[in-house]
Amino acid sequence: MRAFATALGGLLAMLFALAAAAADVTVFAAASLKESMDAQARAFEAATGNKVIVVYGGSNTLARQIEAAAPADVFVSADLDWMDYLHTRRLVAPGTRVELLRNTLVLVAPAASAVTLRIEPGMALAAALGGGKLVMANPASVPAGKYAKGALEKLGVWASVEARVARSENVRAALALVARGEAPLGIVYRTDALAEKGVKVVGAFPPESYAPIVYPAAVVADSKSPAARPLLAYLRSAAARSTWTQFGFAPAGE
Amino acid sequence: MIDVDVAQRLGTFDLAAKFSADAPIVGLFGRSGAGKSSVINAIAGISRPAHGRIVINGTVLFDSAAGIDVPPEARRVGCVFQDPLLFPHLDVEGNLLYGLRRRAAPERVIEPARVVDLLGLEPLLRRGVRHLSGGEKQRVAIGRALLAQPRILLMDEPLAALDVPRKSEVLDYVLRLRDDLGIPILYVSHSVPEITRLADTVVVMSEGKCLAAGEIDIVMGRLDLKPATGRYEAGALIDTRVASHDAAHDLTTLEFDGGVLVVPALDARPGDRVRARIRARDVSIALERPAGISILNILPGTVTAIEAETGPIVDVSIAIGRAALTARITRRSVEGLELRVGQPMYALIKAVSFDRRSVGYA
Amino acid sequence: MAYFGPEIPGILALSLKVALVSVLVSLPLAVGVAYVLARASFPGKTLLDAIVHLPLVLPPVVVGFALLLLFGRRGPLGSVLESWFGIVVAFRWTGAALASAIMGFPLMVRAIRLSIEAIDRRLETAARTLGGSRGFVFASITLPLALPGIITGALLSFARGLGEFGATITFVSNIPGETQTLPLAIYTYTQTPGGDAAALGMSLIAVALSIAALAVSEWLTRRATRASGP
Repeated sequence: MRAFATALGGLLAMLFALAAAAADVTVFAAASLKESMDAQARAFEAATGNKVIVVYGGSNTLARQIEAAAPADVFVSADLDWMDYLHTRRLVAPGTRVELLRNTLVLVAPAASAVTLRIEPGMALAAALGGGKLVMANPASVPAGKYAKGALEKLGVWASVEARVARSENVRAALALVARGEAPLGIVYRTDALAEKGVKVVGAFPPESYAPIVYPAAVVADSKSPAARPLLAYLRSAAARSTWTQFGFAPAGE
Repeated sequence: MIDVDVAQRLGTFDLAAKFSADAPIVGLFGRSGAGKSSVINAIAGISRPAHGRIVINGTVLFDSAAGIDVPPEARRVGCVFQDPLLFPHLDVEGNLLYGLRRRAAPERVIEPARVVDLLGLEPLLRRGVRHLSGGEKQRVAIGRALLAQPRILLMDEPLAALDVPRKSEVLDYVLRLRDDLGIPILYVSHSVPEITRLADTVVVMSEGKCLAAGEIDIVMGRLDLKPATGRYEAGALIDTRVASHDAAHDLTTLEFDGGVLVVPALDARPGDRVRARIRARDVSIALERPAGISILNILPGTVTAIEAETGPIVDVSIAIGRAALTARITRRSVEGLELRVGQPMYALIKAVSFDRRSVGYA
Repeated sequence: MAYFGPEIPGILALSLKVALVSVLVSLPLAVGVAYVLARASFPGKTLLDAIVHLPLVLPPVVVGFALLLLFGRRGPLGSVLESWFGIVVAFRWTGAALASAIMGFPLMVRAIRLSIEAIDRRLETAARTLGGSRGFVFASITLPLALPGIITGALLSFARGLGEFGATITFVSNIPGETQTLPLAIYTYTQTPGGDAAALGMSLIAVALSIAALAVSEWLTRRATRASGP
């Protein structure tokens, strides 16, 4: 028994040592930024030696957590609403808010799917679904879902498919479902479709059918990290721009 | 010296036990459910009486009026129960030393070596308690209680769960304790042979009350206590001394104040004190000394009391010198012989009716 | 098929740290609560029993949400903890440990309570007549005899803590290196394009850990039972 207790103590000490050390700057970023932000973070670390940790999730979830005093230094949201949400609550460091990126909305299907559909008002979306579900991020709160629902409403087909919508917690969850073939169709960002080999784009939603997808970024008001502002500056820099474009984003302001 | 005066509501009846007793071994006797264990629990501090007073050897353990209630761990009252309650996760030695370790060095008067020797525990010390025999377990329990340095030992039916040979074995050890250690013992039992073998003073309980307390041969012989002492066990105890042996016939003669008793041969030396128990049903009455009869014990005496009873059987108290006997005979015979109090008569007891359990060292 | 990446040791270490700390911290309390439920009787005992079992029947997300309300930095308990003791649990591994501790608590208490109830109370009484105070009897008789149940309870809670997800992600979110335990990492990888192989690899590790925990529990329990008699 005593030997067991000693082993336990040693294990604990080892675990405390192994578990990661604190980061220099923590970024809360919309789920759709996964690969691109990871690349930017690694570049920033290499350039400045500051350690970066990125937490991904639906922008709604992240905003709420920041409101609950989560240790975020920089917030990149997938829509303006959630940045406004924090702004009104004075949770954004004044003068740091910028528009960082733009994105577009697409309809995707599993890579092996034979579905073809022209995206236009009154399209036969319900028929194209067959017996399956249309997946998207939760239209009640997640930016990608809000854009998706808005586009379908503008095209006049929301009512025909509303009952067949499967709502996921963030856009990447929706993407994964389509990639696995669990759903015949899904609505995600173009950048997501580019990142996932398991889906193909069926068509792009006409830009006039949804509000411009803008990714605002800001330093969080309570942040104590001296690397926060430099990171945000980096994300807007020319060096970062090529990476964003590589992943399919358009820098804001273009 | 044991002074007890406790009152408590217990389920179906009220305990109202009051007695004082002093002896090396005080027996607490009564039928099952008479309240004996409740008295033990109150003395040990396991249960708390509604009100009363308990004093052991001058130390007040409980006094409701004065607000004194010593917690069990401070009472120095050793307990041995029918179930040995040995601690299964400790070996025999661990069990024995459990209480001793709680005592400061100067208090450790009763030493392990002595107790181990007294109870024959040496070969058992390293063993786990699971596979000990009933008798061995009980001896360990007794040793454990002793090593906790008690000022009194309470034994609550310690032999009840043992078979006859083990009972006898442990009983012998208890007697050794009395002789060797000098700690007073309060011994609870509903078994007459046990009580009569061990105790000098007995307290008789029935339905929560103490009916009598006194020297054992007197109390056990009292007819008015029969409901408490148990009808079928009625009998008498006579203190005797070994007078001589009849080697040719394997018989022993015992002397007492009132005559002699002839019994099957005892392993005793002349002059040893021996207590003989005579069951009432083994005693017959004759108005004249009978002749040509096989019964060896024919004792002249006087009728001192005749129980008023309906039913076929009557108990008659007889005085033989200063000793008291009870004879159990039919009512028809009582009427036929016209027995009266004060009548001279002869008590007849077959030598054969004395067995191993009836005669023991006092 | 399954992929085992370089980030796994860190995630594993964090998961083990969170689960171990949660068990060690909650064990004394669980023993105390189990003892009270097993031995004492008082008004409100049923209520205490119900509260202890709540995490077992509530959706974990509800527990996580309640934790956020109470222990978040702006919550009543969280703000006190921070201003008086300088301890922050929200969005920290300590919060993940707290979530695991709460979710595993009913399992721990149940197992310990059962084994305490199985102890013959008269043994404790006998120990008291031998001179043991209540505390000494508890430590020398009750605890050793309850050891099999304590071990089982601790390991059940540990295994539960390793797999804790809903309350953790709701309360402390999914911060890599800080609160991203094994289940949360698996969850993240299922949402990462091409992450299935990594998710599978980590799932296999989770299964292996659970089996190991159960095996150790069996072995320790058998040893403890042997030592404490019938």
